[in-house]
Amino acid sequence: MLCTVTYDSLCCHPEEEKPDMETVPEDSILRTLLQRKKRQDYKASLKIHKNRHDLYAEELDRLTVVRKPDTVTDMLPEGEIILTINIYYPAVFDKFNYVRPHMTLLMTGSHTLAELRDAICCVSDLQVCGEFSNTPDVAPDFTSKDLYKSAFFFFEGIFYNDMRFPECQDISMTIIEWAKSHNFPPYSQAGMEDTRFSDLKVKVGFPYLYCHQGDCEHLVIITDVRLTHRDDCLDKKFYPLLIHKHRIATQKCAVCHIFIGRWFTKNDQFAPSDPCLFCEKCFRMLHYDSEGKKLGNFVAYPYVDRGAFN
Amino acid sequence: MPRLPPSFSEFYYEPLTDDVEELLALFQHTETVRYELFSSIWREMRFSDVFIGLTNMAEMKRFSVVALGTAMKYFLPPYSYQIRVGGLYLLFAFYNTQNTIPPVKIRLALKDWEKVQKFLKDSVDAGHLDVIYIYHKLVSIKAFQYVAMPHNLTFQKQKKLKKERVCAEFLGRTSAVLEFFSLDIMEELINIKDQYENLKKATAEVSGQVTMTNPNFASHLKDCESEFITWQQKTFAKNWNDEKLEEDDEKSGDDDASSSSSRARLLSSIKNKSYNNYQQASKSRRHRKATTVDVSTSQVNDVQERVVQRKRPPSLRARTTKSLGEAQEENKLQAWLLTAPEGQERVPFKRSQQPPPYRER
Repeated sequence: MLCTVTYDSLCCHPEEEKPDMETVPEDSILRTLLQRKKRQDYKASLKIHKNRHDLYAEELDRLTVVRKPDTVTDMLPEGEIILTINIYYPAVFDKFNYVRPHMTLLMTGSHTLAELRDAICCVSDLQVCGEFSNTPDVAPDFTSKDLYKSAFFFFEGIFYNDMRFPECQDISMTIIEWAKSHNFPPYSQAGMEDTRFSDLKVKVGFPYLYCHQGDCEHLVIITDVRLTHRDDCLDKKFYPLLIHKHRIATQKCAVCHIFIGRWFTKNDQFAPSDPCLFCEKCFRMLHYDSEGKKLGNFVAYPYVDRGAFN
Repeated sequence: MPRLPPSFSEFYYEPLTDDVEELLALFQHTETVRYELFSSIWREMRFSDVFIGLTNMAEMKRFSVVALGTAMKYFLPPYSYQIRVGGLYLLFAFYNTQNTIPPVKIRLALKDWEKVQKFLKDSVDAGHLDVIYIYHKLVSIKAFQYVAMPHNLTFQKQKKLKKERVCAEFLGRTSAVLEFFSLDIMEELINIKDQYENLKKATAEVSGQVTMTNPNFASHLKDCESEFITWQQKTFAKNWNDEKLEEDDEKSGDDDASSSSSRARLLSSIKNKSYNNYQQASKSRRHRKATTVDVSTSQVNDVQERVVQRKRPPSLRARTTKSLGEAQEENKLQAWLLTAPEGQERVPFKRSQQPPPYRER
C-alpha cells in the first residue's frame, strides 16, 4: 500500500505526452480550465500584452528568492517570526487611496519599530519647502526628512514616538490631549526605538497608523505573521525586506518629455503653461544663462514627483 | 496607465471550488479512505491540468495559494472524516503538482493545530496508515508554513458580503452523543445513584422523606439518547439511501461507463441531489443547520459595513452642477497633466473606447 504513494501516482499524463503548459487543452471537463481558456482567448485579443506592474513584481521576486547567509551569525534564528506589513499611500493622495499598498515589507520579530520607520519611503520626506529661483543650487540641503524628524506609530491605543534625535518632538501629545478632552478612552505612549515587534500586541488585518512630517499619514496593516521557513530569505542583512512596491506613473519634463520633472515654475514667461514642470537640465538651460544668472521673471519650487522612488 | 489584470482578491475561486467538490464527491462515493482510490480519481479527472495556462510566475503563485487554501478548507472540521482525508490527499496532490518555484507552502494556522493533531490521533487509532504517512511526508518536505491566520488579510470595505456555500453532504455529523454513551457512564451513573439511595436509607433522620435526585434519571437519559440517534440516522441516512438507489438504477442502464459525458451526467445528478437535499434538510433540522459561512476578508469588520446595499446618494459635485444648471463640459484632458504640448498630440486623453475589463463569467 505504501509503495503506491509516490509522485507518479499524481502524474495524469504518461511521460512521453507531457502537455504544453501554456495552452489550455480543448477537451477538459474541469471548470477551472474552461474559465481559463476564455480568459486566454480574451487576452489574446488585447493589443497590450505585457503589463509593467507584473514585470516589476517579477523582477522584485527574483531578487528576494531563497537566500542563505554567508555567516552563521547573520542567519535568522529558528523560531523567529516574520511579519508582512503593508504600507499604504498617504491620505492626501487622490489615487489608490487605501486600496493599493504602496509597499509591502517583511520584518522579523526582533526588529524595532524604528527600523520599520527607516524602511518606509515616502515622497513627502524629500519635499523641499521654499522658493529657490534665485538660488537653485542650494535646494537639496533642506529636505523635509532632515527638518521634521518626528514620527509616530499608533498600534492598539499606544503611540510609539520616535525620540532618537534631539529635534524630535512628541507629536502624539496633541492627539492624546484632544482625546482626553473629548471623552475618548485614554491612550498611552512608548518609544519607537525600544519596542520590538515581538513585544507588540496587534490584530492581523487591522488598520493602524504611521504619521510623519506632522500631517503625512499612512495606513499600516499587518497582513501576516508566521514562523520562519527553510525557503524564506534567511539572511538578516536583507531585512526589512521589500517584497512589493507599487510604481506610480511619473510626470515628465514639459520640454523633453524624457526626464522626471524636478522644478515647478509659476508666472514663468518662458513656460508654455502655468504652472509648468521642468527637469534639471531643461530648467537650467531655459532660465539661467551660462554664468548662472537668472533670466526673466519666474518663481521656481523644487518638485518631488510621487513616483520618485520607482 | 495599463489596467491591472483582475487578481484573486478573494480566498477561493469558484470554478476551482466546483472542480474540487466534484473530486471529493467521487471520493466520498468510494466509501473508503485509501490513497490509491483517490489518486485514481485524480488521474481520471486529469486534475493536475488545473495548473496549465498560467502564463507568468505571479499568476501561478496566486493560483497555487488559492488551490492550497481550498484544499485546506476541506481538511479542517466541520467536514466528515472521509472528506477531511480527501482534503489532506488534495493538499499533497496540489503541493506536488504546482509549478511555482519555490513551491507555495501550505498555511497551517495556530487555531487549527489542535484539530489537526486530533485528526491524526483518530487516524492512528483507526489504523489508516496512508493518511499518517502522507501527513508526515508533507511535514518532512517542509510543505507546511506555521502561520497565525489562515489567509493573508487586508482591510477591505465590503460592498456586499459573499456567502460561502457549504456542501451539506460533506459535513461530518456529530458523534458526540454516541461517544458519550459508549463510555461506561451510564453504569457509573446507576451505581452512584444506588449508592446514594443506600446511604439515604441508612441515615435514620432522612430516609425516604427527602430525595434530591430524579428516580428515573438513568432511564430518561437513555430514552433521550436513543431518540436522538434514531432521528439523526433517519434524517441523514434517508438522503444517502435515496442517492444510492438512483445511482444503482443509472449504473445498470449505462453501458459506456467510462465515457466522460455519462460521468458528467452522473456527477451532476449527484450534485443536484446534494444541493436539493440541502434545501429540504434545513427545514427539518433545527439543531444542526448546515449554515452558510460568511467569508470576510478582514477579521475585524465593522458591523455597520454589513448593512450596506443602498445606493450612494449623489455627490456634492453632482448636486452643485445640477442646481446651477450648467452643462458639464466634457473635459478630456487629464487633470494631473501640467503640460499641454502643441496640437495636443500624444496627450493621454481619457480613454473613451476601451475594451471592457474582463469579468469572470
